[in-house]
Amino acid sequence: MITLDVKDIRKKFGNHQVLKGVSFRIEGPELVGLIGPNGAGKTTLTNVLDGAIKPDSGTIRLNGTRIDPLHPYEIARAGLGRTFQVTRAFRRMTVLENLYVPAMAMDASVNRKEMEEKANEILAFLTIDHLRNEYGRALSGGQQKLLELGRLLMLDPDVYILDEPFAGVHPSLMATIYKWIERVNGEGKAIILISHQMESIFTLCRRLLVLNFGDLIADGPPAEVKNDPAVIDAYLGVEEDMSGTGLLTQEASHA
Amino acid sequence: MISHAPKIAGSVAAALLVLFPLVYSAGNYDFVMHLWITAFYYAILASSWALLAGYGGQFSFAHLAFMALGAYGAGILDNYVFLTSLPTGTCTEFGLLGTNIVFLPPAGTGDAGACLTAARATWPEGATVSRFPLLLQIAFGAIVGGGAGWLIGTLVLRLRAAYLALFTVGLSEILRAVLSAEIWLTRGQAGMPMSPLFPEGITILGTTYGPAAKLPAYYVMLALFFATLSLLLWVARSRIGLFLRSLREDEDAAEALGVDTVKWKRAVFVLTAAIAATAGAVQGHYVGLITPNTLVLLQMSLVIAMAVIGGLENLVAAAIGAILISFALEFLRTDFTILGLEVDMTTWRLVFFGLLLMLTLRFLRNGVIQGALMWIERRGVGAETVAKRRAAEEAK
Repeated sequence: MITLDVKDIRKKFGNHQVLKGVSFRIEGPELVGLIGPNGAGKTTLTNVLDGAIKPDSGTIRLNGTRIDPLHPYEIARAGLGRTFQVTRAFRRMTVLENLYVPAMAMDASVNRKEMEEKANEILAFLTIDHLRNEYGRALSGGQQKLLELGRLLMLDPDVYILDEPFAGVHPSLMATIYKWIERVNGEGKAIILISHQMESIFTLCRRLLVLNFGDLIADGPPAEVKNDPAVIDAYLGVEEDMSGTGLLTQEASHA
Repeated sequence: MISHAPKIAGSVAAALLVLFPLVYSAGNYDFVMHLWITAFYYAILASSWALLAGYGGQFSFAHLAFMALGAYGAGILDNYVFLTSLPTGTCTEFGLLGTNIVFLPPAGTGDAGACLTAARATWPEGATVSRFPLLLQIAFGAIVGGGAGWLIGTLVLRLRAAYLALFTVGLSEILRAVLSAEIWLTRGQAGMPMSPLFPEGITILGTTYGPAAKLPAYYVMLALFFATLSLLLWVARSRIGLFLRSLREDEDAAEALGVDTVKWKRAVFVLTAAIAATAGAVQGHYVGLITPNTLVLLQMSLVIAMAVIGGLENLVAAAIGAILISFALEFLRTDFTILGLEVDMTTWRLVFFGLLLMLTLRFLRNGVIQGALMWIERRGVGAETVAKRRAAEEAK
């Protein structure tokens, strides 16, 4: 069974303690939402999980094996993949080539024909198969998000971390991303979803982690978290203020 | 259908290059051969740099420094290391597999060959003295260059774009200064002499060519050029090429998708540095003299310009660009008069050249040759796509 065991992760940038001892555990095909105001440490936590940033202390175990001392590419191969908040399609490579990179990185002797078939199937699923020979830069912002999700499927990790997959995506593409999440989750993979879109988070996730100023202040089912006084105080504010402006006011009051 | 024209044209061009020295017979034979040898040399440098910069995104100015390390690596062996059948007793030496390897003290610390000359006077007839084998010299040069490539590749791992360029500019200027200053070893600006590629001459198909003959050197450089291009193309089309391009586009994203960016970045430095070093060692033997001026920044800019004008992301285009430009620079030497003004082309040719570079960068980012090749290759693609779409729509 897939397990991700995060224990007491701390990270300091200069005098700024960004993560103050974050611990949680994911077991099996969970779909976990990671939320928190801007600057709460969500992206830093993601970067620590994927190895781009080394934590000052704490351990991360994936399926029982420690991954925190590894390089990002080793962590990716060990089974933890992520997308980026700002899309990072390989702009001067075709869509298919974008998908081949993780496949070939995972397995040097990958069967070319199988790889091509898999890539084409994924592109068809993501509704961007007509763009397969276009350069990454020719894709719209939303299509680039889909391309990133496609690349991640080629990597096929155990734990998927999606950093703001819905940001700047047209509603018509949202449905595709939803479908993608259901597919990955249905295949038994764990997903950590970071988003500011509360609607999506509450629809999709069965468990929420709430990060505030580097502290994990809540961990539980959405309904429970929603009513947690600490969360309301720190983040959600009054209930009707849950999206957009409410967050900004919250930020401003802390600044 | 994607046109096969470039492939056919490439094969024809390769065949013509092989036949050329045999069929060409004008009075300026040696001069034209020399131009071709120089052109191949630049094509090797430009295409290998194109893999490093165009594919790997490592805009390094140290390529000629690697070239020089190869040339001087071979040159030092050529000048100071000899194989003898008998021990000299006075030189630094050691025996290996029945041969005696003699290290002469470098020129600056006294008469370089004194101990060997003295010993030879006492040797019986039939005792042999020969230079360090040429192929091993070149191999040593390639290893020195490749090793330096590994070191530089490691040092610049965290440097990107402009910082990488500045770092490598500084590095190659330091190397040039050292090569100029360490006269005891390199003879500084006077240059280090190197024995010809075929010191005893060579007989090919019944014809004997002297050490200074151009034809054997032409084929050596052509073979090196073909071998280099084949190797580079193989790398570029393998998964390594894919990884290099992914790390050029976005290192963090490539890493997050399982690409060992450190390994491949180092690897491309080692490979291209070793190629440049090999070219440097061979060219040194061909020219017969190596000087620190071969790695002035202007020369490096020339190689970069060749690759850029040809097409940075296409190794063949970069090589063709290098060949065309090295010829153009030679033929642009002819002065001409315009509106009563005499234009001294020995200086002005670089101005024209700079202008060409600027126009290419402004209007043809993919380079002139690559642009042309892509146009030929993809001419039918647009029409084909439209036809496909129509068919799909009709099927509905």
